[in-house]
Amino acid sequence: MSDNREREIVAAFVALSSRLVDGYDVVDLLSGLTTDCARLLDVDSAGLLLADPHGVLHLLAASSQATRDVELYQLQRAEGPCLDCYQAGAPVSVPDLSEETARWPQFTAAAMAAGFASVHAVPMRLRDQVLGTLGLFGAHTGALADDDLSLGQAFAHVASVALVQGKAVADKDAVVSQLQLALSSRVVLEQAKGILAQTGDLDMEQAFASLRRYARDHNLKLSALAASVVARETAPRQILDHFTERLSTKRAVRPNEL
Amino acid sequence: MDSGARLRSDLQAAMAGGGRGLAAANQLCHACVDLLDVDGAAISLMHEGATRGTFGSSGDLSRRLDEFQFTLGEGPCLDAVAKGEPILVADLAAIKEQRWPAFTGALLGVGVRAVFALPVAIGAVPVGALDLFRHQPGSLHGEQLGGSLHAAELAALPLLDLMGADLDWSAAGDGESDGDGDGAWSELASLERVEVYQATGMIMAQLGVGPAEALVRLRAHAFAHDQTASEVAWAVVERRLSFDDAANTEGSS
Repeated sequence: MSDNREREIVAAFVALSSRLVDGYDVVDLLSGLTTDCARLLDVDSAGLLLADPHGVLHLLAASSQATRDVELYQLQRAEGPCLDCYQAGAPVSVPDLSEETARWPQFTAAAMAAGFASVHAVPMRLRDQVLGTLGLFGAHTGALADDDLSLGQAFAHVASVALVQGKAVADKDAVVSQLQLALSSRVVLEQAKGILAQTGDLDMEQAFASLRRYARDHNLKLSALAASVVARETAPRQILDHFTERLSTKRAVRPNEL
Repeated sequence: MDSGARLRSDLQAAMAGGGRGLAAANQLCHACVDLLDVDGAAISLMHEGATRGTFGSSGDLSRRLDEFQFTLGEGPCLDAVAKGEPILVADLAAIKEQRWPAFTGALLGVGVRAVFALPVAIGAVPVGALDLFRHQPGSLHGEQLGGSLHAAELAALPLLDLMGADLDWSAAGDGESDGDGDGAWSELASLERVEVYQATGMIMAQLGVGPAEALVRLRAHAFAHDQTASEVAWAVVERRLSFDDAANTEGSS
């Protein structure tokens, strides 16, 4: 591991843990966590699936549109390594998707069509309860180095902690309501993206970028801003105009800027 | 299957017997009484723009009790919707229980000692509540609470039906009432998809309506064109279908 990468990893965890203390927005934090995974691990993108109280998985965050699509495809077709990882509560490693076409015929075809060659899924666990999975998608074949795999597991653990917000593990009801809150924040976030996409004639990724940009520049929680767009308290134009302005200024916007 | 899972599947099965809207709401209320150790159940709708009131109950008394809340302008089901969280009252006669003086009096007057109001959400918006009444004081134990929450999720379907009351259900086909107890649940799951949420947002912007109403419109379109909610949602997200156009063309068909 290069010194530089090590520093970045430490910085990412410090940033994550300080945000955990500050009072945070879980969807925002987990979106950032998937981008951290994509940036710091030897993978190209990452996605987080979270189970609802009935054990049905939902997409909570993804670092790219392609990952979003492939994750959703797994949910739709009810097959794929992330689902198996959730069922088993154990990591599932697929170094070469082309060798697993018999196991997940539909998923492998879709994932390879989207440009992925390998997938590693690690469970998000809270003692005996499996909350969901973190899927790591690579454009190359090959197993993940042990370092990367344990880092991936560490990120999955941070995600679990973020989701339950330090609630006593014994308090299963509190955990359930926390997970439901995260899922319903996700609903509102998607609705807000739809409103912005329609109003500004953007695709969903741009719509999300505009929402996140506005939230960060105004020090707002992403889900609070999304809720206020859905409730018509913040005009979509205001967010879209801000986005256009920021895009036209010279200052480069760093990815993952916190 | 553990008993919690059995309870959920029994509740779903109760919804599978056919019927929509009011009939389905009544069925679900009866199932609550049969399965959840309560003596009465009612479902109310109180979304802006929709007719507020009780739609569906296990019997006359439950319906009238539920309606009292609208008359009196207070009660746990109104609070459950306003706060978006369950309001669980194990003992209405408890001295500290002073939230709804008039409504509590009415309930105690007919021998109801416990009331549990669970919000029913559509597209993350609480639009109504499932009210459960019990003669004996006492909390819902874990499994009953889980079952109640599940029943409240299922109640979203009849409420969606009622909000889209102009729909012609006879034309919608019986495909989903396949009798295996899975229909209601898979229909709910079909509405809980990312593309459906995104399309809901787009329809909100197209029509200037709220999320629940946008979802009602999306679902109505799916029924009218014999498509799944997801198919309609993709068509909206990919800009192949726009509801501001559809509103005009559909009006003439």
